[in-house]
Amino acid sequence: MTAVRSWSVHLPGVDQAVLGLPGDPLGPAVPPERAHELLGRKGLLYKDEATRLALCAVHRALGRGPAEPRPAGPADPATAVVVSSNLGNVAVVRDIVGTVRAGRGRDVSPMQAPNASSNVIASTTAIWFRFGGPNLMICSGATGGLDAVATAVLLLRARRAARVVVVGVEPADPVAQCLHRNRAGGTADRPLRAAAACLVLERSAEAGPTLGTVGSFDPAVDPAAGPVIGPAKCAEPDSVVLDPRERIGDTFGAAGVLGVAVAAALMTENPGWTVVAGDPVAGWRRVRLGVTR
Amino acid sequence: MTVLITGSALHTCFGDQNATFTALLAGRSGVAELTGIDPAKLNVAHGYPIEVPGEHRMFRAGHWLTGCVASALAAAGVDPARQRVAAVVGTGLRELWAVERSAVGRVGADQLDFRDAVSRAAPAIHDVLTVSNACSAAGHALALAQDLVELGEADAVVVGGADAMTESMLVMIGRVADEPATQVRPFDVDRAGVLLGDGAAAVVVTAEDPARGPGPGRPLARLLATGLSCDASHETAPDVAGICRAMRDGLDRAGRRPAEVDLVLAHGTGTARNDPAEASALHEVFGDHRPLVTAIKGAVGHTSGGSALASLVMAIACQRTGIVFPVVGLRRPCPEAGALRLVSGAPQPATVRLAQVNSFGFGGVNAVSLIEALP
Repeated sequence: MTAVRSWSVHLPGVDQAVLGLPGDPLGPAVPPERAHELLGRKGLLYKDEATRLALCAVHRALGRGPAEPRPAGPADPATAVVVSSNLGNVAVVRDIVGTVRAGRGRDVSPMQAPNASSNVIASTTAIWFRFGGPNLMICSGATGGLDAVATAVLLLRARRAARVVVVGVEPADPVAQCLHRNRAGGTADRPLRAAAACLVLERSAEAGPTLGTVGSFDPAVDPAAGPVIGPAKCAEPDSVVLDPRERIGDTFGAAGVLGVAVAAALMTENPGWTVVAGDPVAGWRRVRLGVTR
Repeated sequence: MTVLITGSALHTCFGDQNATFTALLAGRSGVAELTGIDPAKLNVAHGYPIEVPGEHRMFRAGHWLTGCVASALAAAGVDPARQRVAAVVGTGLRELWAVERSAVGRVGADQLDFRDAVSRAAPAIHDVLTVSNACSAAGHALALAQDLVELGEADAVVVGGADAMTESMLVMIGRVADEPATQVRPFDVDRAGVLLGDGAAAVVVTAEDPARGPGPGRPLARLLATGLSCDASHETAPDVAGICRAMRDGLDRAGRRPAEVDLVLAHGTGTARNDPAEASALHEVFGDHRPLVTAIKGAVGHTSGGSALASLVMAIACQRTGIVFPVVGLRRPCPEAGALRLVSGAPQPATVRLAQVNSFGFGGVNAVSLIEALP
């Protein structure tokens, strides 16, 4: 079994009490341009919005202090990173192409090069926090967040890592908003919300605090029994339902990770949450978070 | 439990896998002048493109992937309607070309991943994971596919790799080159950098379990393991220590010693940074043992996220024919590669039992696969 050791959310402009979450000791989430207040100033130049949000969420989940210096020393090969994001680099890609059309390639800073790559969030997380294990970037659409959690569980079961840091993150820049608005399966009344969430997962056989255990994943073809984090239509009538999209907007590729983080935080209130992520076109995926034993 | 590769398909600038292997054996390069871009602006004039009919221009990678997934499943004799089949697709650039080229408002976020491309080939596959791990994406997809089969999460996994070159990545290649390269020359002293190639590939991975009876297709090779690591050192530059960790992880998981490797399909991008780092890592891991080394990118370009799978499919062809193709574009090895047994100039007959496939990506993400020939 897989244990959730730690969780965090980083939701700029959102009082996380609307999700039923307790306040974070590090205070409210700063927007990406103020990420240095949490992460320290060094190394953030040229980091895009999604990467900054992701780093903030990981910083919180690891329980690091405000502006605490980045870890130094050799990378830990036993810690893997799995990130879900669909829109992290779309603004950079459009920006690069726009710059070239208005001038030429030399006008683009070589410092932008890593940001054009879709996996920059996952690799930057590894470099920043010194994680040398498998490093995966999942860009699977609306189910991506739960796909990332499932992939993390797979890495632990396959003994590719002893610990996996899972991140779900989306920015909400104009290009990202536009792509999100135009997607099949989306609805106009649930705009994209910039968000990041992080989970630290380990095998539950290892010693450590267990906030919840991650069960098996399945397609959510019938209503789930018990309390649900996700759309009401994926729950049985009269079930307790907490739908983050209705409260803060759509966090898209981050939603599955955010849902599991919220479930882990609210285990004492309502054990046995089922977290559902997806949309009508991509389909739905779900996982049940078990109680701590 | 190890797993079998029971079907494969490839699409490069030369055509399908047979056409590509034939071109590699003949030492041909598929390099061509790129159309539809401004070379003066980008500082890039060449690449290894696949010509595409107009209606598929916008989502080319998915179009090629659909064809490869259908062919690989058919070759493997796997029916997703009757077995639990998942898909894992590795890509570096997703369908970002559409984001670059379309007016804002014409493309939706759901069109960036490869769920639809797999569904068109196999509507019964619902579990489609798009792994966007730069130039080693398909290697990472292979690792996850083997894990899914070995841990009983799927009966078979179709592993895909697909990329169509994007303007933003061409800009970045032009930005770091002094002079635009006219051909990819892996491990050559006069290498001038990397050029992009269009392409897609797919293989079907199934369980090798005597209790389950014979596999559905006639297997092509045994996938022993894929080792993974992240350098965690630099966003773009490779790191010898990180590469060595992936190679050793692969060998450990495969239960094989370095001395058992007969052939290495190198990542071989022909860049100033990759080739010396890769050569150093090979020296460090293999010591006195000197396997044959070849690479495909001089012939088909850097097919980004799909390149690991393209190398793997060509490695299987070497195993099955007993002929190793030369490194196209290599004339005089760079000093760092001097001690490697690079196949150069002409194909070389060889018994290839164990082959290693290297792939390294931006962000220091490394995947090293080991495949064994079947008797």
